[in-house]
Amino acid sequence: MRPKLITIFLLIVLVPVALLGWLGLRVARDEQEIVEHKFRNILLGKLGDVDATVAGLMADRERELLRLTGNGAADAASLRALARTSPIVQQTMLLDPHGVRLHPPPAGPLNEDERAFLRRAEPIWRDPQAFFRPPDDAPPPRAALPDHGWHVWYWGEGIHIIFWRRAPSGHVAGMELSRVRLLADIVGALPATDPLEPALPQGRVVLADAKGGAIYQWGAYEPAKGETPQASRSLAHPLEAWQLRYFASNTDLKRAVGGGILVTVVAGTIVVAVALVGLGIYIARETSREMREAAQRVNFVNQVSHELKTPLTNIRLYAELLETAPPDPDRRARYLGVIVAESQRLSRLIGNVLTFARKQRHKLALRPAAGRVDERIAAVIEHFRPSLAAKGVDIAFDAQAGEPVIFDADALEQILGNLFYNVEKYAADGGQMSVASRQNGAMTTIEVADRGPGIPRGQEERIFEPFRRLSNKLADGVTGTGIGLAIARDLARLHGGDLRLLPSDLGARFELTLHTPRTQEATAQP
Amino acid sequence: MRTTTWVRVVMAGLLLAVVAAPVAQADQVKLNVALGKPFLMADKQQKAFLKVGLTGFVMKDEAERTPVNVAVVIDKSGSMSGEKIQKAKEAALMAIGKLSAKDIVSVVAYNHTVEVLLPATKVADKAAIRAAIQKLSAGGNTALFAGVSKGADELRKFLDKDRANRIILLSDGLANVGPSSPAQLGELGLSLIKEGISVTTVGLGSDYNEDLMTELARRSDGNHAFVSEPADLARIFKLEFGDVLAVVAQEVVVKVTCAEGIRPLRLLGRKGEIDGQAVTTTLNQLTSQQEKYLLIEVDVPAGEENSVRDVATVSLSYLNMHTKTTDRLTSAVAVRFTKSEKRVEGAANKDVLVAAVEQIGNDTNKRAVELRDQGKVKEAEKLLKDNAEFLAAKATKLQSVRLRTQADFNNDNAGKLATDEWKEERKRMRDDQLQREAQRAY
Repeated sequence: MRPKLITIFLLIVLVPVALLGWLGLRVARDEQEIVEHKFRNILLGKLGDVDATVAGLMADRERELLRLTGNGAADAASLRALARTSPIVQQTMLLDPHGVRLHPPPAGPLNEDERAFLRRAEPIWRDPQAFFRPPDDAPPPRAALPDHGWHVWYWGEGIHIIFWRRAPSGHVAGMELSRVRLLADIVGALPATDPLEPALPQGRVVLADAKGGAIYQWGAYEPAKGETPQASRSLAHPLEAWQLRYFASNTDLKRAVGGGILVTVVAGTIVVAVALVGLGIYIARETSREMREAAQRVNFVNQVSHELKTPLTNIRLYAELLETAPPDPDRRARYLGVIVAESQRLSRLIGNVLTFARKQRHKLALRPAAGRVDERIAAVIEHFRPSLAAKGVDIAFDAQAGEPVIFDADALEQILGNLFYNVEKYAADGGQMSVASRQNGAMTTIEVADRGPGIPRGQEERIFEPFRRLSNKLADGVTGTGIGLAIARDLARLHGGDLRLLPSDLGARFELTLHTPRTQEATAQP
Repeated sequence: MRTTTWVRVVMAGLLLAVVAAPVAQADQVKLNVALGKPFLMADKQQKAFLKVGLTGFVMKDEAERTPVNVAVVIDKSGSMSGEKIQKAKEAALMAIGKLSAKDIVSVVAYNHTVEVLLPATKVADKAAIRAAIQKLSAGGNTALFAGVSKGADELRKFLDKDRANRIILLSDGLANVGPSSPAQLGELGLSLIKEGISVTTVGLGSDYNEDLMTELARRSDGNHAFVSEPADLARIFKLEFGDVLAVVAQEVVVKVTCAEGIRPLRLLGRKGEIDGQAVTTTLNQLTSQQEKYLLIEVDVPAGEENSVRDVATVSLSYLNMHTKTTDRLTSAVAVRFTKSEKRVEGAANKDVLVAAVEQIGNDTNKRAVELRDQGKVKEAEKLLKDNAEFLAAKATKLQSVRLRTQADFNNDNAGKLATDEWKEERKRMRDDQLQREAQRAY
């Protein structure tokens, strides 16, 4: 029963907690991915702005070069002058419609810069038509071939860019951009690092060349060596070889993502787990208490039935004896005595059961009235005298509570009855029961002591719990409902006093205290 | 034939007189075209030096001076920390103190990123400028290219032909972010000069890349200075600002057209473009009273005794910063043949010859650096010593203190090729080479 309960309990707690934790983690991870994605998109957007700035610059270049080449009909002299005067142009070239180079002159005198140009533009001379042919993967031109565009090739330190323009005559003029100047203008157009009004408080944008080296960078954040950028994108044509990289600190990303979500999930799961465990424990305790109580009730009914059966049997037996064979007067008197005693016992048992039932319904109440405590004690003693005497128990009564006080005589009788009955039941071997009463102010104290086996150490309080009888050995051959002492203590406490077991070397010694206001005082009160 | 030649010379003289006359007395750049030897030995093909000298006029008063647009670009990489950055700040502040409200200044600082400390602004609020410069502190890498690019960007905000536009770059280190080779920085300089922007480079200490710094200055027609001690920065900034404040002419284009039969062989010192018979060079700026010149070696065919031969005509155009007009001047030069060596020697133009010797000696000095770079210390040393001897001999012959100093300099160089001081000496040599090549003011 128990291990099964524990298993069920664990399942009830662990399964939802695990499920919740798993779901929470998934939600957190999804959320993080979404936010990271958003964050990355924001960064990509920023890089897009940068790209647009550079693209704008390239568009300006294109316009400027179209302007410089007028109607497109360029000649070698004007192209040479262009190379000399334009800050953005490094070198110029001119091809005839068949791709034959007219400028720089194939035969004529060349200056140093022109010779260098011929060397680095080697791929163009090898295939002069190639550089204004659209790339293979581009869609085929629908209408006419474009008459101008960018051509990029790699040589030496990196990319080289030529703007080409085809004249109506079929001549193609090419203007090589000064790469360094282009870079300088890009640097000029892009933001600087400004510590006061940071455009990038926690980021760093790096413009990297084809080899991955930084051309220009800005932003206050210092990426570590080898750090991977949070976002990157290539520049638009014709600068696709260059890449923009956005570095941002991971902690910022986490802040942006709301790193708290994981904490929230974990904390939430823990709270739910604790709540579930608490609830489980509560339910388990309630269940086991109710089960225990149910068992106790069954037990109680069994015991009460058994308890009631004994006096009833005796009463019936003796009544039948009297009815069938009328005995001699002595015997008759003894039979009647037994019947009376058994009836009293029966009525006390029923009284106990009723009191207990009232207490269960929280309807236990006292009906105090004026009277003398000693008189009541004496009456109860007289009730028990025959049965105690029959078991060889002497009774000593030291009566010191004769003052008239207010108290519930029925409650007192019930308490004492239970105490005396215990003596009769368990401590008859001791052969002695002493009762002592005294009064002190508004309190009355009554001591009941016997010389029986006493209460084992450690069990002093347990005897007051209902349905609790000490060792089976003690209970052997003895009947009882197991509610006597519990009821006695409840009544005593209800009466403003207590019932306690006093330490004793021999037998059991109970001390009963009751709040018993004097009659005058009581009457003085409204 | 002879008569026509004479007529032509006279005509050229008249033309020069006519063109120059109206403004000759006033604010006009002086164009001086001369041959090293106006008389040549007859009947013999020979080489001759042709010097085209340009001297800036004097701006009469401060109010007249050319307004300037200066971007100060300061290296604030880690190596600049301490005294260097402190002195750089002081020097920049001192120099900017010389500017007035009509000038424009911007301050850019760079390490591996670039910071525009002071966007281009009129020099009216000097306190703000001072505050911007005081913010400078050093640390990080060296994105020299980006720094200059940003400086140029600031200059361009107020780019104006009527201003002297200049970037003043101060660095103590090697460029290591972005384009970083002398060739690339030279390309940048070449591009900037096309817009009328010169870059003056100031190298501080013994760790900067002098080839890169001189190439950037050379190609953009700027100045270069080697400053070994930070304390010397103030003096250099003073000289540099003095130079930029004394600009009297800009967009100077000199075109030398050699006469038929005369073949231009090479340019000594200042570079230019030789295209057939034409030699063209541009100078960004001419400063007050400062002579800059173009020196061409030409091949002159044999001529009969007493004959005269046209050598070249020179046309000059420039933007006069005083009158804000584009002025044009032309001049011509001819040679006469004689059989008297005495006559040849007696008529020799010492000024031209000194310039020629100086440039030849300078080229030799450059070759010595190349040799030393290749590890050929002995050869370099011998070359420098021979050069010193050659210069000393010419100095005596031409009675030139300038050449004497140059000879001593070469001797000093020779003594330091294999010492610890070579790194610094090389910077000193590069500095001196560019100074002679471009006739720098300081």
